[in-house]
Amino acid sequence: MGLVQMDPSKDNPPEALVKAMGEHIEAAIAAGVFLDGGGLDGGAQCTEVRLAQGQVTTVDGPYAEAKEVVGGYSVLEFRSHEEAVEEARRLVELHHQHWPGWEGSVIVRRIWDGPPPQA
Amino acid sequence: MASDAPREAQAEVQAEVQARVTAVWRRESTRLVAALLRLTRDLELAEDLAQDALVAALEQWPGDGIPANPGAWLMQVAKRRAIDTFRRNATLRDRTAELARSLPTGEEAQVPDLDATLDHVEDDVLRLILLTCHPLLSPESRAALTLRLVAGLTTAEIARAFLARESAVGQRITRAKKTLAEHRVDLEVPVGQERTARLDDVMSVVYLIFNEGYTATSGEDWTRPDLCHEGIRLARMLAVLEPRHPDTHGLQALLELQASRLPARLDADGAPVLLEAQDRVRWDQLLLRHGLAALDRATAVAREREESIGPITAQAHIAACHARARTAEETDWPRIARWYDALSAAAPGPVVEVNRAVAHGRAHGPDAGLAVLDALAPGALAGSHLLPSVRGDLLARAGRHREAAGAFSAAISLTANEGERSVLRRRRAESLAADVGNAPSRTTSR
Repeated sequence: MGLVQMDPSKDNPPEALVKAMGEHIEAAIAAGVFLDGGGLDGGAQCTEVRLAQGQVTTVDGPYAEAKEVVGGYSVLEFRSHEEAVEEARRLVELHHQHWPGWEGSVIVRRIWDGPPPQA
Repeated sequence: MASDAPREAQAEVQAEVQARVTAVWRRESTRLVAALLRLTRDLELAEDLAQDALVAALEQWPGDGIPANPGAWLMQVAKRRAIDTFRRNATLRDRTAELARSLPTGEEAQVPDLDATLDHVEDDVLRLILLTCHPLLSPESRAALTLRLVAGLTTAEIARAFLARESAVGQRITRAKKTLAEHRVDLEVPVGQERTARLDDVMSVVYLIFNEGYTATSGEDWTRPDLCHEGIRLARMLAVLEPRHPDTHGLQALLELQASRLPARLDADGAPVLLEAQDRVRWDQLLLRHGLAALDRATAVAREREESIGPITAQAHIAACHARARTAEETDWPRIARWYDALSAAAPGPVVEVNRAVAHGRAHGPDAGLAVLDALAPGALAGSHLLPSVRGDLLARAGRHREAAGAFSAAISLTANEGERSVLRRRRAESLAADVGNAPSRTTSR
């Protein structure tokens, strides 16, 4: 799974990026690696439910204290961590190319497709 | 100069770049080989040129960094080498002339430019798959060549997946390429009836690759998930390349639905767990949803084109019935039995009948299942453990435990897979125990 983190104060992505991302996802579907994905709301409707010291608290987002929120996610299937990282690198390149001033990151996390390996 | 940097650090950088180059290769090789095939009309040469480009990347990227568009970089290098090769190689002179004639004159114009190359890319990949699954080749060769050229696996990886020696797989691939070259196989993507027939061949190969991973025919592992994943990837690719062919979506659905169960098919000790006993919480919900969506597409396309449901899509419907049941008890067996009847009509065969017997056994009682088996031609599926193991299951359900134990014994002697054998041994032991327990009443009642 790839999580795109970015500055929440950014406006909507420019047309060029949306188009480039569309093409990129088409290619990923054609390569048989794309499972699911989507954009996530910047945080106007975002609530964190938290358990700490036996107390359940809810905090409405967006978080002033956190500089970045998750702006989107995609679930892709690769044969190795390196291939997933290569995909993430391309996503960052696309943002760099089509969204002047954009800063952020793509975090690659593995979804377990079986029980965790035995220690 | 970086003489201060310890040698190990340099080696580490080298290794990291190599891992990244491999990752790029995995993503680009299919399209690279496919586009080069169109350019050169020569599979061997296309693969050599693509490999040369990879070697160049391994040499240059550690120093220069990985380019922003690595695929375009690899294509550019491969194209340049194609031009060089054509110029140098006297035996290819006529082809060079042909190529030169068909293109505008000028140094760089000898080969179509990159943008034009990329425009054709989906056709190129389809052409490549049709070629690697060519009917001239044996199913094993088709599978190996497809994994090599379309999935981008190395010969060593293919050998490991099929538990074969690397040299044997290498030879098989070389021979397959030679066969295609000798027969001067037509590289045009076929149309009409022929296209449908060839796509069916391609789908059988993809299914074969998946199945070899899902239920390994030999060896100690019951499943080899890597092969399953390659099969699914190829099926998804095919569904994008041929979206108007309902069965391509059906194949994708079938493989994804089957694979969604992979995490639950082995217990903590690595022993196989049969469908009914599986912990459904462990089924991969994302794959399951993906598979059901693909099945909807198959149904929609078939309806739109007014085509009847093909055998692969019928199998996907059966898999979907299982996928939708939250517990084994909730399984809609009468519906599954109906889909098996449809499958039996669309693609009759003893394997389908054996499975249909299972479905009817669950839906309408073991005697209904045994009746399906009894209708099979004598000697059908001789040498396979499938028939006796299903008969054993139905007999056990009918309470005929002694006969069931005999059937399981026959099945055990016919399978080479250790995982399956252990399941069958357990079933036989259960039948024997039940037979001892029931012995007096059973002998009086029959």
